[in-house]
Amino acid sequence: MSALDHGQTAATAPERGFSALSERHSRILVLLGKRLVQIPVVLFVVSIMTFWLIQLVPGDPGRNALGPYATQAQVHAWDVSNGLTGPVVARYLRWLGGFCTGNWGTSFVYLVPCRSLVLGHLVNSMLLGVYAFALMVPLSIVLGSVQAYREGRRSDRAITITLMSLSSVPEFVVGVLLLVVFAAWLKMVPVQAAADATGDLAQRLHAMTLPAVVLAIAYLAVLTRMVRTGTAGAITAQFHRTAVLKGLPQGQIVRRHVARNALIPTMQLLGLYLGALLGGNAVVETLFNYPGLGALLVVAAEHKDVVLLTDAVMVTGVVSLLALLLTDVCLILMDPRIRFENTES
Amino acid sequence: MDSPLQRAPDTVAGPVAGPESPHFADGVVPDDVDTGAAGTAGAAGTAASTRRLRALLRRPTFVISALIVAWWIAAALTWHLFGLNPYTSTGTLNAPPSWAQPFGTDYLGRSVFARTMAGADSALAVGPLGSVLATLLGGALGVIAGYFRGWVDTALMRVFDVLVVLPPLIFLIVVVGAFGASTPALIVIIGVVFAPGIARIIRAAVLAEMGKKYVTTAKVQGESAVRIMTTELVPNVLPTVIIQATLSLSAAILLTATLSFLGLGWQPPSPDWGLTISENLGYLESAWWTVLAPAFAVASLVVATQLIADNIKEVSS
Repeated sequence: MSALDHGQTAATAPERGFSALSERHSRILVLLGKRLVQIPVVLFVVSIMTFWLIQLVPGDPGRNALGPYATQAQVHAWDVSNGLTGPVVARYLRWLGGFCTGNWGTSFVYLVPCRSLVLGHLVNSMLLGVYAFALMVPLSIVLGSVQAYREGRRSDRAITITLMSLSSVPEFVVGVLLLVVFAAWLKMVPVQAAADATGDLAQRLHAMTLPAVVLAIAYLAVLTRMVRTGTAGAITAQFHRTAVLKGLPQGQIVRRHVARNALIPTMQLLGLYLGALLGGNAVVETLFNYPGLGALLVVAAEHKDVVLLTDAVMVTGVVSLLALLLTDVCLILMDPRIRFENTES
Repeated sequence: MDSPLQRAPDTVAGPVAGPESPHFADGVVPDDVDTGAAGTAGAAGTAASTRRLRALLRRPTFVISALIVAWWIAAALTWHLFGLNPYTSTGTLNAPPSWAQPFGTDYLGRSVFARTMAGADSALAVGPLGSVLATLLGGALGVIAGYFRGWVDTALMRVFDVLVVLPPLIFLIVVVGAFGASTPALIVIIGVVFAPGIARIIRAAVLAEMGKKYVTTAKVQGESAVRIMTTELVPNVLPTVIIQATLSLSAAILLTATLSFLGLGWQPPSPDWGLTISENLGYLESAWWTVLAPAFAVASLVVATQLIADNIKEVSS
């Protein structure tokens, strides 16, 4: 094992730098270093694209902000103070400088600093995303492994068909159906989540349950499919048979041999979903009137709030990139075989 | 609604990217048959495609889905021939379903049935052309990237690195904000936004084909790159292309409905389904039928197109 060799050479070496770490940890450091270069580059490209696209938005933000009765001079002064005049490149650099130093500008829809607005909504979205995650991950693992152990039987097919048809129904339709049943007919939950989303914990959970269920349903089918495939692959593998024949206790087989191997493909998918969920879902948040980042983006786009829209899009990008990074780190921890080389084929 | 777009590649890539995809008997096109791309594809695959069509028609989910799509296309094309009036009040506001008004009336007293039928028009205004454009663009890029590899391939991959950062819907919200939500603009936007995803899957299918003998044979025979791509590769990845086209149609219908739902697409008094749902959301507790009818309409159209894609996929593999 190369990890052992590495440890021995490190022990004999006099200095205690990176080499003193186990190979797995040093690989995480290498990955982090690579991503530290890669993430800003990708974000830079995304920010240029977003900024350029948003500059194309027809309409006059100064006029929108000040209303029809402001004079031309007032509108111009507003544009200057919000950094909306001059050539696009200069404006972009000014915005970039502000964004990096924490001065994100002022939203003219909400008339508050964008930074607190975006971050506050981001926290709300993250709470909702974590809730949805907490619902769907255990459920998909249970359903997927039940399917794998009963592969080809009627219950396996029934679960697949049910989940697939549930997840191909659009999110806002699932949401509307749940609202009609639980809010209009049974009157168990409020139609609008906004009022309760800032209350105490019990109220919050109550208001967040329906949106979280809708989010979980949307991702459940593919996730379960991945768990099923991974588990089916692990329990038909040679090492599983060896473990069973060796007479290992069932719990140890499941924990050490099946789960670790079965969940690797699932983890990769989870990383993608985590980014999407934490960054906020525009449709579900708008439907339930939940104050999250996705709903904020829609409002900003509707009212052509240029500054707010750019900031919110950038934060969404940062969140999904960090989620991908987190996934890669988890993958290294779970599976020592994984390498992230620049091979593309 | 961003998930189907993300989900589509995962669900499709598996069976398609596999090294064994003998879609056409063995794909070798006789060299002396000097016809165009379509002609050769037809000659090589006529028997196979009629067999596949028959297999499709034996599947109940395919037949039902096709009937649902046909129903909505018919509704979109002919609703104004049946005296339906989606824009004027019938008198009573928020009336529950009855014999006179099968789906009830909305908050302005307009017939929900008439509006649901007329809504098929806007639901199908963008999707078909948008997905055709996306398939042509993405298919061409995918075949070129898979055949030449090199910088085209690298460029495509870099575009992916950037696109994966933003959820498709967020990207769409920004782009629609910039270019507006008129029907031609939406068609182009859908075409451009979906093309990279389709390109990646077609590229994987082409890579699987590249390892086969008929491509090497064609190269040794001195066929030009363009000829190999159009007459050898395209017919052999055609099932993948058709599946991707159907899936992108489903996603396009969903995304345009979603944009309207968010208030960024069609504007009142359009009877668009997504818009109708968001308009009537405030009356949910007193008049639930006004959101239920368009919700079922969107769901039926999106699910039906997706099931058609699933069925084609199962039959061709």
